[in-house]
Amino acid sequence: MIIQRISRVLSNFDNILPVFAAACAAMSVFVLLSLPLPYSEDQLYPKQIVPGSTLNPYDRGGPPFTQVSIHSQYPENSPTAGYVTAYLTPLSLFISEHTAYMGTTIVAHPGGILDEILYNTRGLDTVVEPTILFVAFAIAAYIFRKREA
Amino acid sequence: MNEIGGAPLFFLEFGDIVIYFTPFTLTLFILALVFTVFVLVSRPERQIDIAFGGDAYYAKEISLSELRFRRFMSIACGLACMGAMVTGDVFDFTLFVSLVGICNVGIVAAVKSRHVQNAAYQYGLVALAGTVPMFSAAAMIAATTGTLSMLELAKGMILIPVAAKALLVLGVMGEGMAPFYAAKAEMFRAPGAPYVIMCSLSSLLIFLRVAEVILLL
Repeated sequence: MIIQRISRVLSNFDNILPVFAAACAAMSVFVLLSLPLPYSEDQLYPKQIVPGSTLNPYDRGGPPFTQVSIHSQYPENSPTAGYVTAYLTPLSLFISEHTAYMGTTIVAHPGGILDEILYNTRGLDTVVEPTILFVAFAIAAYIFRKREA
Repeated sequence: MNEIGGAPLFFLEFGDIVIYFTPFTLTLFILALVFTVFVLVSRPERQIDIAFGGDAYYAKEISLSELRFRRFMSIACGLACMGAMVTGDVFDFTLFVSLVGICNVGIVAAVKSRHVQNAAYQYGLVALAGTVPMFSAAAMIAATTGTLSMLELAKGMILIPVAAKALLVLGVMGEGMAPFYAAKAEMFRAPGAPYVIMCSLSSLLIFLRVAEVILLL
């Protein structure tokens, strides 16, 4: 009987959002109860914010064209990691030498400074993220233009 | 290493993201690949409605644009599914699963029927909400263990909080919600039927894979 009643509620797709929201709320309570969680000090890709640097917040330290050691999971898989400041283009190098705000200008991204972690050690993530965006735009565009077809 | 899916046969390195094939993940990968090929070569079914009490029947035509779009979504879903099956990184896994969720919504949303469109709207909201617990699970795993690689986590050196695992399962459930309702007859019999099977299959595969991931961690 109770299963019948539950399945009747669940079979209406208007109810899935409230059911899922209730599950999320219950889970939030569970997560809050399980706090505090331990924080591991040995993190991958550590980064310090250097307020004085002109490349802030993209500065990972080290002079251009030399390698900085980056704590990655499998260093042998990304031998070129750590050359972050070597990716400065001449324009962005000029801006970084003459102003204090290179890291927050529009030339900082993309191409001005490439984020080492995003493009080198975790490249597949960077590929999948735009794919999600592209698929979402494709769906939106198709639904928007559907009436014209 | 805790080898829940068998010993790894082959590693494919993309920097820190190491894709690995065990007998379990390889089986799921091949299943997803075979279905993607089926979707690629199959033609949509034409639904025939029979007028009750007479000899008349009418066949529903599927426009070329709708066929193309749904085939594209199904193939994207198949590729995302293949990625989710073999990836060896928790964050990468969550990304692939959210891609599967969005593709499922796209497959359902392309059907020109008011009922199905309403359903797609609800799935879309659930898939959207499902990303929050899923990515927070990945963030919690990164914060408490300092790594995201499943191969490192599988060594069992560091305890992962149960809350993170539970959030991951809840998030994947949200992303794979669509086929529970797609199982309704009118949705499978909707014009262009073979593509809807893809969202069922992909959800089944991501559920199987998340079970492995949870047992592995």
